[in-house]
Amino acid sequence: MDSLEQTFNRIVKEYSERLYWHVRRMVNSHEDADDLLQEIFLKIWTALPTFRGEAQLYTWVWRIATNETLNHLRKERVRAMLRVQSIDAEMEHRIQADPFFNGTEAQRELMKGLAKLPEKQRQVFVMRWWDELSYEEISAITGTSVGALKASYHIAQEKLKLNLSNLDVSK
Amino acid sequence: MTKRNDISVPRDYFQNLEQRLSRIPHEEVRPTTLQKVSPWLAYAASLAILASVGEFVFRKAAAPVQEDDSRDYISYLSRSLDPDGMVELQENEELTEEDIVNYLMAENSISLELIAEANYEEDN
Repeated sequence: MDSLEQTFNRIVKEYSERLYWHVRRMVNSHEDADDLLQEIFLKIWTALPTFRGEAQLYTWVWRIATNETLNHLRKERVRAMLRVQSIDAEMEHRIQADPFFNGTEAQRELMKGLAKLPEKQRQVFVMRWWDELSYEEISAITGTSVGALKASYHIAQEKLKLNLSNLDVSK
Repeated sequence: MTKRNDISVPRDYFQNLEQRLSRIPHEEVRPTTLQKVSPWLAYAASLAILASVGEFVFRKAAAPVQEDDSRDYISYLSRSLDPDGMVELQENEELTEEDIVNYLMAENSISLELIAEANYEEDN
């Protein structure tokens, strides 16, 4: 049987890159994603002794990552409101100034539109569109029904399409 | 519209990331945010209890003499916690941090703990 450290290293090897991209899409900054990923893996390491195998390791790891990411985003929103600033404007600036962005203007606008979605809608869209998880997998991770996820994804997609068509860059 | 290749990472980032994350089991476990925030929450709770008890004692002591207690700080604090008092404050003052916190808790299902954590991290 694997020791805790071996299991942890296996999780790092298998999931760190995928989770990085998920977190990066959610927070829109490489530095924040890097910091948050450290927090997530610290949490995984701390909680690993309590993992009892009722859920699949995959689901358990993703659940910790998505919960931590949502918490991070909510805290960012609270911090922005305490400073009487707009989180949307902050996110937009972050995307505009991202030194690691090398896509087209349409892709940039898609990211900006995504950042304006409510956190949970954004999460579903990122998991389905970029992370390419099935609705069943997302359902196991988030505890939301497949039907609700499909509805959420559809609404997110419509909002993003509208956002892009208004900007006339959706080519 | 393509999905990939719109964002990148610094050179060798993922190799370094794996190495850094693998060191976590050997690092001293840092206190979690909640653990760091706990003293702050305890302090806030103590203040609220002290204010309530203080106001109760003050009212008991001051009742027979009919003194104007409007300038008393404890009374001021307890009035601001009272819903009617809040209305009065909001009419006369600008938006306060407390108003924002109340709004966040009521309208966005955000817990006091989350606000405390965000505030703590903002201050540090």
